[in-house]
Amino acid sequence: MPVLLDPPEGCRRPTYLMVKHHHKLEMLMYLGGLLWFLALPSDHIHSASYFSENSLLPGLVKGGFVEDSFAKTLLVSLQDEISANPTKMPYPWLLAQFRQIGLDAYTHNFTLNYPLANDMTFEGQNVYGILRAPRGSSTEAIVLSVPFRGSKSVHPSTAAGVALILAIAKFCRRQKYWAKDLIFLITEHEQLGAQAWLEAYHRTSSGRYGVLNSGDLTSRGGAIQAAVNLELFSDRISHVDVKIEGLNGQLPNLDLVNLVHMLCNKEGVHHTFHNRANLGDREYNRGDPIKMWTYSLRTMAEMVCAQASGVPNGNHGLFHRFGIEAVTLTGYRKVDRGSPATFYQVGRVLEGILRSLNNLLERFHQSYFFYLLSATDRYISIGVYIPAVGLMASTLLLRALAVWRSLQIPTFQTDKEKLMRAQEMSNCFASVGITVLVAHALGVVLLRVPVWSALYLNAADTSLSVVIGLMSFTAISTFLPIFKSMHSDTLLLLYVIGLIELATILLAVSLHNFPLAVVCSIVLVPFALLVGGRRLRFLRIIGWFLVQPLLLVAGIILVYTSVHFPDDAILPKAMHAFKEALTFSYVDYAVYGNWMLSVGATFLFPMWFVLWIVVLKGNISTSKDSCEAKKGQ
Amino acid sequence: MGVPEAFRSLLIQYGFAFILRIWLYSSEFKATITERVEVSTPINSWKRVTEGVTLYNDGINPYSGDVFHVSPVGLILYSKLIEHVAAYLPVVFIIMDLFTGHLLYLTAVEYMKHLMCRQEEEKKEYSEEVKELMLNEKDVRKQPLYVVAAYLFNPYILFNTVAQTTTVFSNFCLASAFFCMAKGNRSGLCLFLSLATLQSLYPIVLIVPGAICIGYHTLPTNAKSESADHPDLFQKILPRALRSPNSAHWVKSIFATFGVFFTMLISLLFLSCHLSGGWEFLHSVYGFMLLVPDLRPNIGLFWYFFTEMFEHFRLLYLWAFQMNALVLYLLPLALRTRKDPVLLAATLTGITAMFKSYPSLGDVGFYLSLLPLWSHIFPYLQQGFVVLAAFIITSVLGPTVWHLWIYARSANANFYFGVSLAFAIAQIFLLTDVLLSYTKREFILRHGTSNLLNGKHGKLVLA
Repeated sequence: MPVLLDPPEGCRRPTYLMVKHHHKLEMLMYLGGLLWFLALPSDHIHSASYFSENSLLPGLVKGGFVEDSFAKTLLVSLQDEISANPTKMPYPWLLAQFRQIGLDAYTHNFTLNYPLANDMTFEGQNVYGILRAPRGSSTEAIVLSVPFRGSKSVHPSTAAGVALILAIAKFCRRQKYWAKDLIFLITEHEQLGAQAWLEAYHRTSSGRYGVLNSGDLTSRGGAIQAAVNLELFSDRISHVDVKIEGLNGQLPNLDLVNLVHMLCNKEGVHHTFHNRANLGDREYNRGDPIKMWTYSLRTMAEMVCAQASGVPNGNHGLFHRFGIEAVTLTGYRKVDRGSPATFYQVGRVLEGILRSLNNLLERFHQSYFFYLLSATDRYISIGVYIPAVGLMASTLLLRALAVWRSLQIPTFQTDKEKLMRAQEMSNCFASVGITVLVAHALGVVLLRVPVWSALYLNAADTSLSVVIGLMSFTAISTFLPIFKSMHSDTLLLLYVIGLIELATILLAVSLHNFPLAVVCSIVLVPFALLVGGRRLRFLRIIGWFLVQPLLLVAGIILVYTSVHFPDDAILPKAMHAFKEALTFSYVDYAVYGNWMLSVGATFLFPMWFVLWIVVLKGNISTSKDSCEAKKGQ
Repeated sequence: MGVPEAFRSLLIQYGFAFILRIWLYSSEFKATITERVEVSTPINSWKRVTEGVTLYNDGINPYSGDVFHVSPVGLILYSKLIEHVAAYLPVVFIIMDLFTGHLLYLTAVEYMKHLMCRQEEEKKEYSEEVKELMLNEKDVRKQPLYVVAAYLFNPYILFNTVAQTTTVFSNFCLASAFFCMAKGNRSGLCLFLSLATLQSLYPIVLIVPGAICIGYHTLPTNAKSESADHPDLFQKILPRALRSPNSAHWVKSIFATFGVFFTMLISLLFLSCHLSGGWEFLHSVYGFMLLVPDLRPNIGLFWYFFTEMFEHFRLLYLWAFQMNALVLYLLPLALRTRKDPVLLAATLTGITAMFKSYPSLGDVGFYLSLLPLWSHIFPYLQQGFVVLAAFIITSVLGPTVWHLWIYARSANANFYFGVSLAFAIAQIFLLTDVLLSYTKREFILRHGTSNLLNGKHGKLVLA
């Protein structure tokens, strides 16, 4: 065991070389990771998607859905109901329709106690109908859901979706082959309704205690295997966009995504991913590779942005945390010329999806859960994309190793003074421990700052007080290190700990939400590497200050706003978005259990704080000295 | 010595540790921590204890079922606790934890005194150039404080206390045993060690370093010259390497310690039999630990292996795994580190915490907090960085992949086992490295920092 036992001279060579050239290696690894990430959507790396689960048998049967005219009638009737009462969901109408079709229909009440204010509650009601499986024992279920939107909603109306799932319910009611319960769910208040219904269905709570009172359900089906969320904006559809990104960046099984795309293909419905269709087949074959690559890269970047935010882009995203595979199908209204997809075609797509899901013998487990999509039919699996983050995170570990070596020079090299120095070093363990502990304690406090400032700061509105609270906390924590002086060994050790912690965060996040980890690595790694070093200290301090998590969020929002709304006044708009983002991050944490804020506050911020101390007290050298010392021998 | 200063520092630590624990108990994290498989195992989970106590109070033998695996003595203790101080249970656990911390402090003080004495004795053998590398007053003052801090603010120990596991009590018994070991108190050592063994079986291995340590403490000071001329019976029987002028004393002392220990253990077993009204507890407590029927994942190495394995190999591998945890390293380590039995005891605690059938973070935290006793050998560590990085990364990745496996259902058991395997490897690296550094320091003290041995580059091995 040469690794464990005192190694003879030669064995230490690799480590020695690594440490000696660590600056070059770090740059190489970082650029390697970055290039690897950018190269992912090229034709040589991503591969064509395929079905792993044979029991799905997609599209093998001839569709039988013919209730499109019924859907149209319902749509007209529903639009009358909505215009009669624009704010409220027409419960009696929905319940009556379900019962007329012959399903058991129920309502579900829920209450939200708004977490950033005292005594502020919102109420809502979902409607759902269950079609009991004629050929099964109600042990498994499939959900088809639609978020209901009144005419006052900021989003386009989904009345067409409601009409279509009622028509599908009518069609399914008459079929004999269902082996799983079908649950038709119409939710209120966008994601809140879906979350409340899921919590009630599973009798659990994901957010903070007492925030979302999800009540109880009168009736349940079996364990939910999969869910399809439908948002149809019209009965004349230009294209169906398939949304997959869920809460905390969780994705549905790739088989389900493929299934949807394949059935859309079969029924001739134009389908897209992030509103980007594949480049036409002809272009695919002959097109110029650079153009292909940039097009795919753009699609992948859209996915990366959506997934990295950690916020679901549809109600499907809330199902994932309950182990339910789910996607959202968003049908956009056809405005230009050409023949649209109608209820008939979309209905057949949904019928096909339901019948394939009905064939499932076990829960989805075959295909990938971790993937990136660069087109509707191209995917990049975890084994291919993980080296990108792996390489970038390893640069941090390499730097940490180099700093550590400069602290603890191999003792068996005859040099007594080095041993003495190492002995000195062990005196700084206590202050390192205390600093790390304080940093994490600050992080735990930070997690509470939004709610404290919202409740006790009497600013104009809640979001403003949240921003003021967070900003002042940031300012205080930024100036905190000034009051304590530190030994240079302590700083070096802190640097090591901070680097290891950052690498750990990146690796752990990359397992849950790869895009978030990649974005964080690209931004944070260079600055973290710049923290150690003597020259240009001022720039190093400014650099690391700029990646303070709060400022980073502000910067990202500013960039996002200026890209998406180039014509408007950017600053006020960005400021507004910043306020909203901070407030929503807390609300999402409290209601849905989104871990973006908790990870940011309890891990990312403490890591930043530790390295902030290092860069501020700075003047530390990395392994330069030790290298020279070693050369001298 | 700066006693008031040390005293003040201790008080601050205890106060702060107390507040931290109270806060954690009342925070939202408590429920999460309690349910973590890394912290609560079938052996030590408080939920199972309450279950057993309820059964016991209802007149049902808790050992006839498959839930309760705490010794009868523990059962009576916990049932009394639940009966009388149910409202203050968190405080009881926290106080026990603080006591454990203080016992470790006292142990460290004694041990540092002992190390200084030994340094004085052996000073003349030391090389000239290493005067600065020897222990000094500052180390003696600081190291005990490090030990307390490493115990009280160890995240693993914090989790363990907040989850109210029975490991808190096992750690208390172990810490008492260590204290008695450092003090040279035979009956105390045997009592606490037998209590610890009664609870979790594996501490039985500590009787070996215990016996050696007691032997050192009772060593007659003036017996050297006379027995050298008249070799007695033991000196003829023993192998040459172990022969010493005090062989007779050694054999007697070790036999006495073993005798007292086993007498106490057997009387405790009979007491348990009396308390629980039968011997069923043997199968339920020790059978459970040895036969490993419950394969719920934990940080150990048993569960994965035994779920994957064909059933007919089970007995063979049970032997192999249990020997690995109990006896495999006992003899070689005992021979190598017989001069420093406390180090031997700490190493054995670490090995059992790593290889036992149902390890928890509380066990890992306990031996980790003992390590600052040897902070004077930290400069000699080779794998410090690897161990540090591996501990941090695996501690974070463990719960992460657990979430992916159990809740998100997108990962599987291999992920979690991979992480727990890496955690075990980090521990192995740490223990090996500590032992090696110990050897290296001894060597350097005697031969100087030059690694030239008879003109060639020497290589130090742990043998």
